[in-house]
Amino acid sequence: MPPAIAAHSLTRSFDGGFTAVDRIDLAVEPGQFFGFLGPNGAGKSTTIKMLTGLLAPTSGSIQILGEDMLNNPVEVKRHIGVVPEGMALFGKLTATEYLHFVGRMYGLDKQVTQQRTAELLEFMGLANEQKKLLTDYSHGMGKKLALAAAVIHGPKVLFLDEPFEGVDAIAAGTLKSMLQGMIARGATIFLTSHVLEIVERLCSHIAIIDKGHIVAKGSLDELRAGVQARLAHGEVADPNAKLTLEQIFINVVGGESGATHPEQELQWLG
Amino acid sequence: MAGVGLTPNDGRWTAAQTRAQFAAIAQLRWRITVNAFRRKGGAGEMIARIITYPLFAGFAFGPTILVGIGAYYFALNGHLDHISWLLWGTFVLCQLLNINLGQPGTTFDPTQLIRFPLSLGNYVAVRLFFGLLTPANVIGSLMALAVAIGATVALPALWFYALLSLAIFAAANALFSRMVFAWVDRWLSTRRAREIFTGLIFFFSLGFQYLNFTFNPAYNHHHQTNAVSAARLNAGINFYHHALPFLAALPPGLTGSSLVAAHRGQPLAFLGFTLGCAAFAAAFFAVFALRMRTEFRGEDLSDQANAVSHKAKSPAKSIAAAPASSPAQPESRFLGLSSVTTAVLGKELLYVRRNTGIFYSLVAPVVMVFLFAGRLATHSNATWLFPAAMAYTLLGVAPLAYNSFGLEAAGSQFYFMAPVRLRDVFFAKNLMNFLLAFVEIAAVFIIITVIARMPSLLNAASGLLWAAATLLFSTTLGNRRSITAPKKITVAKMGSGKQASPLSALISMGLLMGSAGIGAGLLFLGIFFGMPWLPLPIFAVLAGVAVFVYVRSLDSIDRFALAHRDELFEELCKK
Repeated sequence: MPPAIAAHSLTRSFDGGFTAVDRIDLAVEPGQFFGFLGPNGAGKSTTIKMLTGLLAPTSGSIQILGEDMLNNPVEVKRHIGVVPEGMALFGKLTATEYLHFVGRMYGLDKQVTQQRTAELLEFMGLANEQKKLLTDYSHGMGKKLALAAAVIHGPKVLFLDEPFEGVDAIAAGTLKSMLQGMIARGATIFLTSHVLEIVERLCSHIAIIDKGHIVAKGSLDELRAGVQARLAHGEVADPNAKLTLEQIFINVVGGESGATHPEQELQWLG
Repeated sequence: MAGVGLTPNDGRWTAAQTRAQFAAIAQLRWRITVNAFRRKGGAGEMIARIITYPLFAGFAFGPTILVGIGAYYFALNGHLDHISWLLWGTFVLCQLLNINLGQPGTTFDPTQLIRFPLSLGNYVAVRLFFGLLTPANVIGSLMALAVAIGATVALPALWFYALLSLAIFAAANALFSRMVFAWVDRWLSTRRAREIFTGLIFFFSLGFQYLNFTFNPAYNHHHQTNAVSAARLNAGINFYHHALPFLAALPPGLTGSSLVAAHRGQPLAFLGFTLGCAAFAAAFFAVFALRMRTEFRGEDLSDQANAVSHKAKSPAKSIAAAPASSPAQPESRFLGLSSVTTAVLGKELLYVRRNTGIFYSLVAPVVMVFLFAGRLATHSNATWLFPAAMAYTLLGVAPLAYNSFGLEAAGSQFYFMAPVRLRDVFFAKNLMNFLLAFVEIAAVFIIITVIARMPSLLNAASGLLWAAATLLFSTTLGNRRSITAPKKITVAKMGSGKQASPLSALISMGLLMGSAGIGAGLLFLGIFFGMPWLPLPIFAVLAGVAVFVYVRSLDSIDRFALAHRDELFEELCKK
C-alpha cells in the first residue's frame, strides 16, 4: 500500500533567491495523524501549499494516495480536503451558500450537498449563523466553516494549517473528536499547529521543519528518545525525565531569540 | 456525522459533475454580486449603479453607432479598406476601457478555484468566460457587430462574410485583452513592477505627446514655421505609408482586407485573411492559456514570498541600560503641526510613494493637460484654459479624500486605539491631498505657461480660489464618506485601484462638476458683462466659507467617527 502522502526532495525557491523549502522528504502512512511543526517562517505553510497543489514546487515529487500531484492534480484534489492558511473563504457568501458551492465543486450531487451542509453546520454550531455573510464571521467561526468545507466531500487525506487557531475550547474539543473519528475510520490527517499540547495529544507521528529543512521526524517516542540521547551527553537536563513536545521542539529547533541577554534588554518596559 | 472520512466519491468523474462545477461557479459569482447589496451602504451602491449604468450604456452606444455609420459610409462609397481604421479605433478603445474600467475577478480571487478538482481546461474556460464579460470587451464586440451591420446594410451581399470576419475580429480583440491583462496582473504582483509599469505609461504618454507636438499642424502657431511643420507632417504621412504593410498584417487590417476580398468575389483570399485573423486569436488564446497553466499549477506572487531573502542575522545589539521611566522628551513641532499630524503626514507620504495606483491617478490628469493644452490654446480663448485644466487636474486628487482609510484597511483600527484625536489624523491626510493638489496645479500652471501662454494674474487668482473652495468642500464631504462608506483597496490587481465606493465616486464627481459649472458660469458672466474681475471676490467669499465649513467639520469629526466606527471596521476589517 503506497503512503498516503509522500514527498521526495521537495524544494521551493522564490524569485528573490529565498528557498523556503529545501529538498525535504516526507512519508505519511495511511491512517496516521501527522503533526508538521516548525517555528515561524520555517516553511510549513509553503510545504502544505505544495502538497495540496496550491503552489508548484521548484523541484521534487509529490504522491498523494499513490497519485502524482504534479501530473494528475485533479484526481488528487478529489480525495483531499484542505484548511489552508487564511482559510480562503468567500466573504460575500453565507455559510450555506459557501458549503453548497464547495460541495458542487467536489462533484457531490445537490441532495447530498444540502444534507451534508445542514449536518456540518449543526455539528460546527453554526446552524444559527448560516444566513450571515462570511465576512461578518469571527475568526473562530471562519475556522470551523473552513473545516466543514474541507470535509464535506469525505476526503481520504486532510491537510489542516492551524485549524484550532481562534477556536473556542468547546468547539476545539468537538473538532478534535471529529478528527479522531476520521482517523479511526482510516483517513490520514496532516496537521500544522503552534499549539504543541494539541499536537502532542492528537498526533502519532511528527516532523519538525526549520529554515526549510526537516530537522527531526518520527513517532513522538522516537523524537523523545533522540533528544534524551542527546541530552545524556550534555549537562543541561535530567535525561530520565519524560520530555514534553514543547521541550523536544525547543531542543531540536534551538530556541534562538534576537536577544543574547533578554533580562538586560528593554529595561524601559514596566 | 455520517459521511465524513468514509464516503469519498471513488467513481469516475462525470460530465454532469463538470457541468455542476460550472453552475456552481456561475452561482457563486451571482451570489457575490447580490450579497454585496446586503451590507451597510448597499442601498447607496445600488443607487450609484442605477445612475451610472445608463450613463455607461449611453457611452457604450455612442461609439457603437458611430462605427456602424462609418462602416455603412465606407461600404457605400467603395472604401471597404477604410473599415480597418474603424477596427483600429475599436481595438484601441477596447484596451483603453479595459485599463480604466478594470478587469473581473476583483470581487473574489479566481485563483482560489485551483484548490478544487477543476481540470486545467475547465479552469481556463472559467477564467476566459469571466474575462470576456468585461464592459470593455462587451463594447468591443458590440462595435464589431455594428461594423458588420453597417457594411451589410450598404452591401447586403456581404452579410455572411461581414458577420464571420467581424465575429473572428471580436474574438481576437477580446482574447488579446485577456492575454495582456492576465500577464500584466502577474507582472504587477510586486510593487517594484507596478512602479516600472507606471513609469512606462508615463513615458509612453510623453512619447505620444512628442509625436503629436512634432507632426500635428495645430502646434505650429508659435513654435515652428509652416514649412517646417509641413515637412514634419509629410514625414509622418511617409511613416504611416511605411507602417501600412505591417498594420495590414494585424487583425484590424486583415479583417478590412477580408471584406475587400469578399466584395471583389475572391472567396479564397477572403478565407486567407479571415484565417490570418483567426490565427492571431488562436495565438492570443495560447499565450493566455500558458499563463493560466502556470496559475493552475500554483504560484505565489506576493511581495512577501518573492522579495524576502535570507539576510545574515546581525548580532544582538547591546543596549545600554536606561532608567525604567525616562522623562518624556518635549514634543518637537514641524511647521507648528502636532506630532500626530506630522507622523500621519509622513506615513501618507510613504503610502503615496509606494502606491502606483494613486501615483498614476495623480500623474495622468497632468499628462493629459500636457497633451492637450497646446491644441486647446490654438482653438479657444486662453481665459478658459487654466481654470479648465485645473478643474480636470482636481479629478485625480479630489476622490482621495473619499476613502482615506482604504489602503490602511484593518490597520485603521490603530487610530481608534491610540491616544490621538482623529481630527489630527484627518487633518494630516487632508494636508497630504492639499499638498498633492498644490503640486499638480503648479505643474499645470508651468505646462500651460510653456506650451500656450502664462495665465493672467486675475485668471490665476480666480482659478486658485475656486480650486481651494472646491477642494475644501469636497474634502469636508469626503472625510464623512471615508467613515460611513469606506472601501478596502487591494493594490496588486490591475483595475482595482478604484479609490472609493461607487456612490462616493459619484458624489465626488458630481460635486466637482457642479462646482466647475458654477465657476464656468461666473467666468462667462464676467466676460459677458465686461467685468472680468467678477469671479474673484465671489470665489474669495466661497473659499472663506469653505474654510469655515471645513474647520467646523474637522472639529466634530471625532464624535462622528466614534458614532460610525462600526461601518468603518465592517468594511475595512473584512476578510
